[in-house]
Amino acid sequence: MLQRTEGIVLRTTPYGEADLIVTFLTKDHGIIKVFAKSPRKVKSRFGSSLEPLTCSRISFWGKEDSALPRLTQADITHVYSSIRESLSGFLKVSELIELTLYLVPERDRSRNVFSLLMRTLALMEAGPAEQLITLFYKLKLLDIAGFLPRLQSCGRCGGEGDAFHLMQGTVLCGNCCTGDGQVSRLSRSARTFFSTLLKWEMSKLHRLKPAEGIIRELVVLIDEHAQYVTEKNLRTKSFRVG
Amino acid sequence: MHGIIENLINQLTRLPGIGRKSAQRLAFFILSMPESEAMSIAEAIRTVKQTARFCNTCFNITDNEICEVCSDDSRDRSRIVVVEEPSNILVIERSGAFRCLYHVLLGALSPIDGVTPEKLKIKELADRVAAGGIQEVVVATNPNTKGEITAQYIKEVLAPLGVKVTRIAYGLPMGSDIEFADEVTLSKALAGRREL
Ligand SMILES: [Zn+2]
Ligand SMILES: [Zn+2]
Repeated sequence: MLQRTEGIVLRTTPYGEADLIVTFLTKDHGIIKVFAKSPRKVKSRFGSSLEPLTCSRISFWGKEDSALPRLTQADITHVYSSIRESLSGFLKVSELIELTLYLVPERDRSRNVFSLLMRTLALMEAGPAEQLITLFYKLKLLDIAGFLPRLQSCGRCGGEGDAFHLMQGTVLCGNCCTGDGQVSRLSRSARTFFSTLLKWEMSKLHRLKPAEGIIRELVVLIDEHAQYVTEKNLRTKSFRVG
Repeated sequence: MHGIIENLINQLTRLPGIGRKSAQRLAFFILSMPESEAMSIAEAIRTVKQTARFCNTCFNITDNEICEVCSDDSRDRSRIVVVEEPSNILVIERSGAFRCLYHVLLGALSPIDGVTPEKLKIKELADRVAAGGIQEVVVATNPNTKGEITAQYIKEVLAPLGVKVTRIAYGLPMGSDIEFADEVTLSKALAGRREL
C-alpha cells in the first residue's frame, strides 16, 4: 500500500548503478529505509531531494512491514543547506545522526526523535552555541533511548558523589563505590549544570551561558558514555579537520 | 537447466543493469557465438583484471606505472582536475573541454560511512601541488553533499599552498526544462549565473 509521511534524509547508500537506499527519519514511522530508483541520474525526477538533511513530504510503496519499500515521491519542504554546506557544521550533524542510528531502532514510531532532530537543526541553522545544542541533543536522545546517565547524585543511595562509573552509567558516592572499572571525576558545577539542562526547554537554550570548561567536561563524559552503551566508536569522531 | 549455463547466468546477473532475463539472453547468445569470439571476451576480462592498476601519480586506471594522461606532454600541465572515480576522467575527456592533468580521489568524503580523508588520495594531491608547477586545481567532485564536503576539505588542505582552487559550476542539465528543476538545483544555477 501507499504510505505518506514527512521525513528528513539521514543517510544514503549507493545501490547498483544509479539507485540509492535512503535512510529517512520520519514523523510517523521513525527511521525507515526506502529504495529509490535512479536518483543519481542527471534527469532523475527525485532531483536533489534525496541529499542528506533534506526534508520532504514523501510517499513510498510496500507492504506494511516491507523491509525496503519503494520511494515513489519526495517533495522538498526544507533544506538545511547552511549546515550542509559548511564542513564543520556537517561533521557535527553527522555525529548526531550516527549516534541516532545506533540508539534508535528502525520503525520505532513511539519516540519523538523526529521533532527533536528538526528542532535541533533549526537551532543550529539559526546561530552559534553549536556545542551546547549538540550536547543537549545527545542528552535528550540518550534519555529517549533509556540510556541517560545519572550524574546528579549517587545512583545507589542518592547521596553526594562526584565519581562517574562508566560501567554502571552513574555517579557513585564513596560509600557505595565498590570494585573498580573506569571512573571519571566530575566537578560540582558540571553536575549542577547537567541537572539544569535536563529540565531546560530547548527553545530557551540560548539563555544558558555556562563556562566553556563545564560544557567540555560534560561533552567528554557524555561521549564516553555514549560510546560505552552503543559499543561503537563513532566514525565521525575520527574525522579531523585541518 | 544445465548447471554450467545456470552458473553463467548467475555470474552475468552480477553486472549492473543485468537482471535475470537479460542474463539468460546473454548466456544463450554467448553459447551460440563462435568459440574464438566468446574466448576473446573472456580473455579481455582476464587481461584487464590482471594488468589494470592505478597510476602512481594520478590514480587513473592504467597498465603502466604512469598513465597515458600523465605521460602526455602535449597537455596543459599547470592544471589538475580532481575527480572521484577513474571513470569520471573518461567522461570529461570525451567532452573535449579540457586537456590537462587529473587526480582521482578514489571516492568522496562521508563521515557517517567512515570515509575519512586518509582513505582518499587527498594527501597525494597536496603533495603533487606542493611539488610545484600547478597553477589551478579544478575540483570536479560530484555535485552532491559528499562531493561538496570533499571539495571544501580539499580547499582547506590546499589553502596554505597558495594555489588557485576552483569548483565546477552547478547548472541545469542541458535539454531539461526549468519547470522540472528542483529548488536547490535552480538556486545553485542562479547563484552561478554568468554575464552574456
Ligand atoms: Zn551512595
Ligand atoms: Zn596518471
